[in-house]
Amino acid sequence: MNGSIDGAGKVKPGIIKIIGVGQSLRGDDAAGLSAVRVWVETFHAESLPRGVQIELAELPGIELLNMLDGTCCAIVVDAVQSGARPGTIHRLTEDQLESFGGGSSSAHGWGVAETLSLGRLIAPTNLPPELILIGIEASQFSIGEVLSPEVQSSLPEVAGLIEEFVSATLLHYQN
Amino acid sequence: MNQDIHIPALARVEGEGALTIRLKDGVVDDILLNIYEPPRFFEGFLHGRYFQDVPDITARICGICPVAYQMSSVQALEAALGVTISPEVRQLRQLLYCAEYIESHALHIYLLQAPDLVGYESALSLAADAPDLVKRALRLKKIGNDLLKTIGGRSVHPVNTCVGGFYRWPSVDAIRALVPELEWAMKASIDTAKWAATLNYPDFEQDYEFVALNRIDEYAIYEGDILSSKGKRISPLDFEKHYIETHVERSNALHSHTADHGTYFVGPLARFNLNFKKLRQVARETARGIGLKPPLRNPYKGLIARAIELVHSCDLAVELANAYQPQGPSFKEIKIRPGEGIGVSEAPRGLLYHRYVIDEQGLIRFARITPPTAQNFAQMEADLWALAPTVVKQPQEEASLSFEHLLRSYDPCISCAVHFLNLKIER
Repeated sequence: MNGSIDGAGKVKPGIIKIIGVGQSLRGDDAAGLSAVRVWVETFHAESLPRGVQIELAELPGIELLNMLDGTCCAIVVDAVQSGARPGTIHRLTEDQLESFGGGSSSAHGWGVAETLSLGRLIAPTNLPPELILIGIEASQFSIGEVLSPEVQSSLPEVAGLIEEFVSATLLHYQN
Repeated sequence: MNQDIHIPALARVEGEGALTIRLKDGVVDDILLNIYEPPRFFEGFLHGRYFQDVPDITARICGICPVAYQMSSVQALEAALGVTISPEVRQLRQLLYCAEYIESHALHIYLLQAPDLVGYESALSLAADAPDLVKRALRLKKIGNDLLKTIGGRSVHPVNTCVGGFYRWPSVDAIRALVPELEWAMKASIDTAKWAATLNYPDFEQDYEFVALNRIDEYAIYEGDILSSKGKRISPLDFEKHYIETHVERSNALHSHTADHGTYFVGPLARFNLNFKKLRQVARETARGIGLKPPLRNPYKGLIARAIELVHSCDLAVELANAYQPQGPSFKEIKIRPGEGIGVSEAPRGLLYHRYVIDEQGLIRFARITPPTAQNFAQMEADLWALAPTVVKQPQEEASLSFEHLLRSYDPCISCAVHFLNLKIER
């Protein structure tokens, strides 16, 4: 569902969705979830802008496709492991995502990359035209709810990136 | 083939671990199913938590069967606190469980196990050649997740379940709105069973002891006594006396055995075999229509048993959704008291046992969680031993695949039993 024309002839946006992915009980795997929470607390503690939704999707697996369905644009934030310095923020394309080792070991082997590939193959029109992937380099996936300090300190910057994207998208539809 | 076989990463299985098949002079010398993560993490994690937080924490263990974790835990905690839920709450919990069976079985049938049986490396390559099949799978899975979201508040980890009932009743309109899609799912599940019957299953049967919940009045998923195919019926209260967990040095997961040291098998085959007569009529008819009758002793045919359960779950979901009419409060007020309670339900992968001790402040002092995959570990190893002599004669790659196929047929979920599996065959 892309932007649609309302009665006054203006383009109305579809839903803009911010999706944090990760296992909240496994250390830095929760980086994506935490980043989305920090974004909400920092920029929209009162209420989210109209047309913007968040999902804290712990281990969505293939359900990620349904979460993306009906959005005009989306950001997926997840932990990744690429060997970079922990806390490094990666702006990824879908192609690049496949070369990154998991973050969320996700539901029965269905990570974000494989899920998106399936979506592109089966129902490409259900995926948003604009999909931004943000990876946060994880340092440890040990059991517990604590993030490593490097990942923790990267969260405000990730929140800033999300806000930049959301403002720009909203502005685009308003003009 | 004289080298040992090591499969370092089993695809389409949740978690991390390894399987090593060690050979000596071409003969199987040892089989090691190795699990990496520390046992009982979640039990330790629950210690000192407030009892009402337990359903939410345990639901986060797995993205596929969060409802099972909630259902076993709330029943255990309600028993500990002496809470009796209303019939309306029980029915809504059954409907929530249907949602989980629909999404979990659709996923496993089409996207996790079927690629093995139809000769595809992955669901992606299957999707490229048979997109309609995968579209059906995704639509079935979606209706399961939509129902889960409508009742549970979220499509992956439901948050509406509480000890004593539900935090709030979902709206009647929202539940009713799902009926047309559930009716479609009902038809699609029958087609699924017919299709499942056409697949080629490896010729492998064992004389298993099947163990599943059992009830006189319904196909037991939400609760029941524990029945074994050897004829033993016990109360869930006696579970730990009859099914013993021991720590195996090479593995971080605990392995379960019967009290007389036998292996046993929980999951869809066990339920199908022990409770066939309690399936909904349309599910029984579908089974008969494809020439299926209990007992099934081929672990790969768990896929067909899942398909029949999918029919059952969709049919039950349509009935419960149509009948849904919440009355009274959605949860019982709870008076905190110290106590101990047990809860057992049938996760899609099999029997899931929880036991908790609560103190006078309502804090968890002891937790025991025995997930289905941990109960099946010993049986999986026994099956690997039975399969290995023929498989190790195959070329390395083929042999590895054969072992993987067998293990995937169990639908092991190691993030509950801890994490799973890398496979290694050392020649």
